Amino acid sequence: MSILEMKGVSYTYDHKRNVLKNVSITFETGKMYTILGPSGCGKTTLLSLLGGLDSPASGQILYQGEDIAKTGLAQHRRGHVAFVFQNYNLIDYLTPMENVALTSKLPPLPILEQLGLTPEEARRNVLKLSGGQQQRVAIARALASDARVVLADEPTGNLDEDTAAEIAAILKESAHKSGKCVIIVTHSNELAKEADIVFQLKKGELQMISLR
Amino acid sequence: MNFGKRAILYISRKREKTAGLFLLVLVVSIFLISGFEVMEAAGHLSGDIRTSLGAAFYIRASVSVSTAGNGEMQVQSNDTYITQAVIDRIMGLGGIEFCNPINYGFAKSEDIQFIPGDKHNADNNMGRVTALGYSALAPAFSDETVTLLKGDPITPSDSGKILISDQLAEANHLSVGDTVTLTHAKLVERDGGYADEIPVKTAFAEVAVSGIYRIHTEDTAVSPTAGQACNEIYASLDVLETLKESEAGVYTGEVDFYITDPADLEPITRNVQLISDIDWTTHFIRTNDFRFSKIEEQLSSLADLMKILLVCVSVVSAVILTLILSMRMHGRVPEVGMLLSAGISKGQVLGQFLLEVLLVAAAALLLSHIAVSGVTRVIAENVFREMQPHLLNEQVLSGDTDGAGFVSYLHLGAALTAALYAAQILVIVLTILASSVTVMRIKPKEILSKMS
Repeated sequence: MSILEMKGVSYTYDHKRNVLKNVSITFETGKMYTILGPSGCGKTTLLSLLGGLDSPASGQILYQGEDIAKTGLAQHRRGHVAFVFQNYNLIDYLTPMENVALTSKLPPLPILEQLGLTPEEARRNVLKLSGGQQQRVAIARALASDARVVLADEPTGNLDEDTAAEIAAILKESAHKSGKCVIIVTHSNELAKEADIVFQLKKGELQMISLR
Repeated sequence: MNFGKRAILYISRKREKTAGLFLLVLVVSIFLISGFEVMEAAGHLSGDIRTSLGAAFYIRASVSVSTAGNGEMQVQSNDTYITQAVIDRIMGLGGIEFCNPINYGFAKSEDIQFIPGDKHNADNNMGRVTALGYSALAPAFSDETVTLLKGDPITPSDSGKILISDQLAEANHLSVGDTVTLTHAKLVERDGGYADEIPVKTAFAEVAVSGIYRIHTEDTAVSPTAGQACNEIYASLDVLETLKESEAGVYTGEVDFYITDPADLEPITRNVQLISDIDWTTHFIRTNDFRFSKIEEQLSSLADLMKILLVCVSVVSAVILTLILSMRMHGRVPEVGMLLSAGISKGQVLGQFLLEVLLVAAAALLLSHIAVSGVTRVIAENVFREMQPHLLNEQVLSGDTDGAGFVSYLHLGAALTAALYAAQILVIVLTILASSVTVMRIKPKEILSKMS
């Protein structure tokens, strides 16, 4: 089922460099997407546009058929999408449970336990957790929210191979079992292998390179 | 999770940052409130110094100059003639603190052997009597060339009281509480010497020695016994009335008026000169604000200096507070990005930051209120106690110098204190709002890009 769509989206930096050229793409729920590309190719920009963190120079981004520029970017961020970042972006004075409770009214402990944190770890300061545990908290925060789209920017970039594989599995499972639309931008081929659909961003254009 | 809970969690968990902000607001507040208290106190002190110096005007008799038949110039002094009704009218003009009418005369006593002066003999064995309302306001006492050693000064409520010099007291074995009988006398020059013009004594006054004074200047003038400073008798007004040398409620010596604020001297004397009951052809007003005029410029400079200092303190405090709060806000830009990307609204983020600072500031201001009283107590004890002027009031004029008490000066009014606290809160809120506008205008994507 189509949930998020880019229609003819272009984006330029300082009116000089075109990082996205007339990109059109549709994302569906229940699937995990990865967008591959070298550093600086505009992957994060694309994710920011999808998440309502920025606006395109031209074109539309539609959520369930409605232009997010018209419904409001803040509203889009608040209700439709959830982010997972490479550097976790957890609020450092809150515990994992409190970080999850930032965006969700659901009890945070079950989802944290589901993602492998013990109750004691769930009540610890987030800075006292390992990188993998912090990323689990970030994912738990994204999954616990009402958002149906999870946008992940290099979610395994700071993690070792084993932990990265675990995180990739969690994201894949959340797409397949929870019915979320998970969109990951990365330059990791290992992570891309786990995705249902893989795109490559090259010279501002998006090309599908793998469909599973 | 609402912003109130986030604010409380931030305060309780970011203890170092909370403590830093708390101390900053506390120090700025103590600095600012104490500064204002000192300025206010300096203003009051300056006013009290001015009041303690005071100013006076004296209504005195003018002298008339005439030419005698032989062509010689004759200078004759008139008697002042001011009635109580005129005094009441002058006092009614306002701004006058005390009035001190003075009558002069001479007195003899079988109980007193005066300190001999030029051409002393039994006939001119007399002293000059200065009968007045307040002895403490007599020029010799106010300029401290004469000070009271023992006993009490003379006040308008006294009757039958005199002050004598320590030399006279010692020579006649008199002490405070002793009574002597005075009789009237009048000093005249006769046959190259000095004599009493009233040989037959009909008026007597029994008086008590109320106090003994000491003269601090040396009297080197060659003068008759009655002209010797040590023979001067300060007496309550009724004494000369009893000796038939003056009439009750009529003052022929001079009348001195003391005003609290030297700045009022000129307008008051201008109004006094409009009173037609006084014969201004034979009377004149002499004003005295010499001590005030000497320090007027310094007092004015001190007030200006305090204002400049306080403006500097206020500006520096506001700048420091603004800078540190702005730095604190800019240090939280990543958090803003995280919260915005998590779907928290800008209003909620701003509300959280404002609430955090206001909660900490409220606690700091509360403590500063307590701390300021301690700081000002130290300043009051160590600085203002030393500087406290001797104010002229009924207690002091009655000789009760202990009763005058210590004025700490360091008391800010409730309204000004509240205004200062409100100003600090306003600076804090405006700084947070101004810093937040800058931070909130950054796109979340830019914040997150910088973070990565």
